[in-house]
Amino acid sequence: MLKREKPKERFSYDPKKVLQQLERFGKKVLEEITRGRNPFIDVPTRGLSNVYFDERDRLIKMGDKTSRRYLFHVAHARKFMQTLLISAYIKRLVSEGKHASLREAYYANKHTIPGSKENTFEDQSESDPIIEDLERMFGVLREEMHITADRRGYIYGDVVIKDGEDEFNASKLGMGGWAVPGTVEHIEFPEINVDYVLVVETAAMADRLIEEKYPKKEKALVVATQGQASRGVRRLIHRLHYEEGLPIIVFTDGDPYGWYIYSTIKQGSINLAYLSEKLATPEAKFVGMTMDDIKKYGLENVTEKLKGIPPNKKGGPTGDYKRIIEEMNYPWFQNKEWQRQLKLALEWGVRIEQQALANKSLEFVAKEYLPEKIGNEELLP
Amino acid sequence: MANSEADKLFKEFKIQSVSEFFRRNAAMLGYTGKLRSLTTLIHEAVTNSLDACEEAGILPYVRVEIEELGTEHYKIIVEDNGPGIPEKFIAHVFGKMLAGTKAHRNIQSRGQQGIGISGAVMFAQITSGKATRIITSTGEEEIIEAWVGIDVDKNEGKIFKKIKHPNPTGWRGTRIEMEVKDVRYIRSKQGVYWYLKLTAIANPHAHIEFIEPDGKLIVFSRSSEELPEPPEEMKPHPKGIITDDIYRMAQRTTRTTVRTFLIGEFSRISDKKIDELVQYITALRLIKEEEEQNVKEQLMKRLVDGEVDKIIASFGKRGKKVLREVRKIMEKPPKKLTWHEAEEIVEAFKYMTFLAPPTHGLRPIGEENIEKGLTGILRPEFVTSVTRPPKVYRGGIPFQVEVGLAFGGELSSGFDLLRYANRVPLLFDAGSCVITSAARNIDWKRYRVDDVDRAPLALLVNVVSVHVPYTSTGKQSVANEEEIYEEIRLAVMDVARRLAKYLGGKHRKLYQVKRRKTLEKYVPEVSRALSILTGLPEGEIKKMLVTIIEKKFESIDEAVEAESDA
Repeated sequence: MLKREKPKERFSYDPKKVLQQLERFGKKVLEEITRGRNPFIDVPTRGLSNVYFDERDRLIKMGDKTSRRYLFHVAHARKFMQTLLISAYIKRLVSEGKHASLREAYYANKHTIPGSKENTFEDQSESDPIIEDLERMFGVLREEMHITADRRGYIYGDVVIKDGEDEFNASKLGMGGWAVPGTVEHIEFPEINVDYVLVVETAAMADRLIEEKYPKKEKALVVATQGQASRGVRRLIHRLHYEEGLPIIVFTDGDPYGWYIYSTIKQGSINLAYLSEKLATPEAKFVGMTMDDIKKYGLENVTEKLKGIPPNKKGGPTGDYKRIIEEMNYPWFQNKEWQRQLKLALEWGVRIEQQALANKSLEFVAKEYLPEKIGNEELLP
Repeated sequence: MANSEADKLFKEFKIQSVSEFFRRNAAMLGYTGKLRSLTTLIHEAVTNSLDACEEAGILPYVRVEIEELGTEHYKIIVEDNGPGIPEKFIAHVFGKMLAGTKAHRNIQSRGQQGIGISGAVMFAQITSGKATRIITSTGEEEIIEAWVGIDVDKNEGKIFKKIKHPNPTGWRGTRIEMEVKDVRYIRSKQGVYWYLKLTAIANPHAHIEFIEPDGKLIVFSRSSEELPEPPEEMKPHPKGIITDDIYRMAQRTTRTTVRTFLIGEFSRISDKKIDELVQYITALRLIKEEEEQNVKEQLMKRLVDGEVDKIIASFGKRGKKVLREVRKIMEKPPKKLTWHEAEEIVEAFKYMTFLAPPTHGLRPIGEENIEKGLTGILRPEFVTSVTRPPKVYRGGIPFQVEVGLAFGGELSSGFDLLRYANRVPLLFDAGSCVITSAARNIDWKRYRVDDVDRAPLALLVNVVSVHVPYTSTGKQSVANEEEIYEEIRLAVMDVARRLAKYLGGKHRKLYQVKRRKTLEKYVPEVSRALSILTGLPEGEIKKMLVTIIEKKFESIDEAVEAESDA
């Protein structure tokens, strides 16, 4: 049986650390200036070229390539200025204990530069990457810098959440549960009465499980990601696993998108590779949907065809086929079970949704499918 | 029967005078089209004025006025401060065709050989029926006012009326007033305005004023106080001569032998060259006698290689005999030189080598004056010029090319090609002119001029020669002689390179200014942010940043200067 384990990380949110980092950064730049030198910032390089899969930690990680950004360089000057502007803004936010969204951060720092027709930021697409740069430079989440991410996803289950002054039980907030905020750094869990976390791709399925009282019966905390998991949800999953010792089980559709959601929760993503150590949970396991489920539960009639052209046909592979082949090449899917599942999908040319289980009956997923598979630990790595 | 036919036919036969011929063929003198005819009239008068002033050592002051009298009916007034015309020459100068002071002289000149101003007087006469009014004085007691026309049948000047005025102020100069019809004034690139502007550019020592029909006064001020040296007569070079030249010159000469005639009246011919000439003529005669085609060809080849001695020797006695005959030609009086002998001389010249022709007779505008002219009239931001050393075309006709380039400043966008031959602006027939093709065939992009047709660029090209090869009698376009084409091309590339260098430096400087602005722009923002991050006062950070920028550009400026010096 799945049981809560010993925590591996401790609640570590401390705004002072962020402030220290910002000050250290400012001093470094100032030092160059006082020496009469062209000040620079070293920013870790973005993109695939600076990302690798760490086999030991089983995480997508960022390499140590950096690019140097000089103030007195025509091509760098603007970004240098923007980086400092945002840094100063963050210092104020954190020291005042306020939070701002990405968009607020953009508007707060946008103004016309005196003596020119130029704005400090012309578009939010200029300020967002600067914030990402700072995350990478400091190894700090933007949530820790009080810049909040989109809120998406919710949780339901018998845990007590402490959010600032408020404390509440996430199974006593009605059927909707507790919506995960953009920033979860300051959230604490004074009381936890569940054995594991069930991460569910679709809200419809999460709602179904809540209605069937699955969380209560199985002592599970249901986390609905509502598609690709937001940074808040990923961070929450990470914390529930490492700080609270809860096993993580992921339940998605049996299609390339669902498997990709799982992959992101587990290994991190290329975009946020520099944050994998804070966002990813390599110990997460996958319960379904799998191709084997189709045979085992007799769901042949409720599958859907994969989209796109198969690899053996002219013009292929495209669409779903292409995605599956890409996923087969991911280092973390290099194991017998996953290769078999993905191969079957290609062979059969089908996908299956979580809701297809309703074909059996509405209660089937909560009463038979999940308890059986999880109980028997029929989980994919 | 045949006789009476011929009689009938020749009943109408008349001897046509030169003036009559040109009256019927006014186009040959440049009188085609209403626009061009007017420009030609002005050109003839202005050219006369400039030439006269220069020959007399006077800095020219020329005033041109066009008055509109009716539809396509104008009065043209050209006045100068030249030496004036002595009373007895007035009829000749203005009334007789082919009677100038420069005809038959091998000399670089602006005008045509004595047709110019008399052609203009004729044009006025045949379009308006009016005589040309001349007011002139050599600066002495009297001013002469005369009405001159042309007796076409006799090719003679006719003075209809002459009044003498006292000259208390000592005025000196010439004023011409012509009334003409069938011409039109338009301020176009082929009109009088443009012509005078171009003339002013090429003659920076001249002060030119112009009053347009609407009363507007335009002044092209003098930008050089230096008079060009008057042209010198040049003896013809043996390579540029034809049989008729030798034959006719021999008839006229006062020398006593063909030898002294050739040495005295041609350039680059010495006593030794005459001996060589004798050998060549001998060899050519001997070769022509040879019947066998093979041998003939071989001998010609050896002749080209310069083995004249050996060829003559190979004919033995016969060779010596012919040599003696040819020697005799050189010692007889030139008047006795036959057409055939003249032909032989010209042919022999072709195989001989001579020193390049003397070029002292060529009168380029000169680099300094081109630049003065372009600067004074066009007010550009950059100007440069090149006067190439003299060269020859067709083996013996000396010529020289000079090119000036003006860029930017008050120049409007668009490539202006200012064509000149012996300082005379060429306004028509640009398409067939070697100057146009040579200047256009440059890849201007290589010289940082991305779009030559939209660049603020004026290119002056002057072809100088005692004999400019015009494509037609209109004398508005220079023929495509390979050597001339090449010289123009080289000169244009030379000035274009200088322009490229200038533009390079200018762009670099602009770029530096722009760069500095870009870098300075963010200093206040960065200082404020850094002040928030570190607690150091904003002003202090700003000061330090400005110092860094200053230091940076100091070293860049030094580097740029070092580079351009190199």
